[in-house]
Amino acid sequence: MINGILLGGLYGVVGIGLSMVFGIMRQVNLAHGELMILSSYLSLLFLQVLGLHPLLTLFLVAPLMFFIGYLIQIFLFNRVMQRGMEPFLMISFGLSIIIQNALLLIFTPDARSLETAMVIKGVEVFGRFNIPLIYLVNFAVGVLVLTALQQFMKRTYMGWAINASADNETAAKLMGINVNKVYAYAMGIAAVTAAISGVLVGMTFTFYPHSGTQYLIIAFGVVIIGGLGSLPGTFLGGLVLGVSQLFGGRILGPGFQLLSGYIILLIILTLRPQGILGGR
Amino acid sequence: MPLLEMKDVAVYYGQLQALFKVSLEVGRGRIVSVLGANGAGKSTLLKSISGLLESRSGTIFFDQKRIDGLPPHHIVDLGLSLVPEGRKIFSSLTVRENLMIGSYTPKARKESRETIKGILQLFPSLHARISQKGTDLSGGEQQMLAIGRALMSRPRFIIFDEISLGLSPLVVKELYRAVKKINQEGMTVVLVEQDVKRSLKVADFAYILQEGKVALKGNPRHLTEETVKRAYFGL
Repeated sequence: MINGILLGGLYGVVGIGLSMVFGIMRQVNLAHGELMILSSYLSLLFLQVLGLHPLLTLFLVAPLMFFIGYLIQIFLFNRVMQRGMEPFLMISFGLSIIIQNALLLIFTPDARSLETAMVIKGVEVFGRFNIPLIYLVNFAVGVLVLTALQQFMKRTYMGWAINASADNETAAKLMGINVNKVYAYAMGIAAVTAAISGVLVGMTFTFYPHSGTQYLIIAFGVVIIGGLGSLPGTFLGGLVLGVSQLFGGRILGPGFQLLSGYIILLIILTLRPQGILGGR
Repeated sequence: MPLLEMKDVAVYYGQLQALFKVSLEVGRGRIVSVLGANGAGKSTLLKSISGLLESRSGTIFFDQKRIDGLPPHHIVDLGLSLVPEGRKIFSSLTVRENLMIGSYTPKARKESRETIKGILQLFPSLHARISQKGTDLSGGEQQMLAIGRALMSRPRFIIFDEISLGLSPLVVKELYRAVKKINQEGMTVVLVEQDVKRSLKVADFAYILQEGKVALKGNPRHLTEETVKRAYFGL
């Protein structure tokens, strides 16, 4: 159970960027998983070149990913924002293929990981359970990211502008907001969450150039369970998916881990299609 | 020199022409009323002034700077603000956040604390509801919030689009009192209304639009009820 909750914290971070983009722009970024894995490889690069701890590489990877997300929105997505969902889906799908293949060319299809002693170190909780330190770190970072994002959205001009643009684009323009720029900031922030989850995933599991798709599916699961566009919902969705995967694995066997997570997803979709904390 | 000057502005929706060579002037410190029935072109006129819609021909000058073709955020930055029809309050933001986002431009941000104080004096009923969601307010309070939000950008020129729509006479009276006060503080005001009588009572000058053209203009005190009716309904 505890492992499930902690894994869920990581899943929550994986889903936050996807949820944000949908909540703000009503668009689905199919390249979210690839942005995550791109961050894992960037972290690997900095780790090898500069000899930094994987978590410290975040100070380089996160700003770089913000910049990449910002530019992607300005030069690609903003051009098709007014034309419905399909062009955005096509462009983000194309982008995911380009990133995957570029990673394949540069880094080869070999499995990689961001090696850290946190994976083997255990922490005793309540004097009974031994939990991998990396799981605790994942969860703590997940809570931190969620809290920081919520505060940012609640307390800053950019946060208000993002919310206002999501509510009513025309009225936002009348406030003096450059909506295209605000969307670019939002995509930049979503890319930063992709960077954080990419580094955490890279420290916890092995990754390949094609791993992005696997995490995109997890992100979809998380945001559908929690409620599209809701940040606390996304985190809760991560916890539900994490716990149901580990419970299913424990009861039915390790081969059923993924399946049991998605059975829960189907049940929630049937009973509450808008997700646990979804408004609509 | 007028603060706003539109000359021969033509606006289209695709192939459909909505404004036909409309010319309009608004003098500094004035209250100008723009009237017209549904579909007369009032909203199109406002959208072209505020940059939401691009005109195909003609020019719009604001304080001697050409603004047609500029994006809305540049126009707000120059000091022109619009209170949109239907209020358009941001549902995810509280009253305070709705007001704060009105001061998004760098110039307005610096003075946002002072401005918000002034707005809460103008509309005291907003004070008690400052932490509530903007859309939880009554219609009249939402209109006050929409006006306050527009004032937060510290404009020199403010346009009210259908300020009295769907509100009780008592609330409308209070809103018009606020409009007069705003004008007395030096702001130039444009009222776009369907409430002809009330609007003409406060205006220094009036334009009546009909089918995308200026059908009548003049000082409201010199316009007879009959000529206004004719221009308004196209009789």
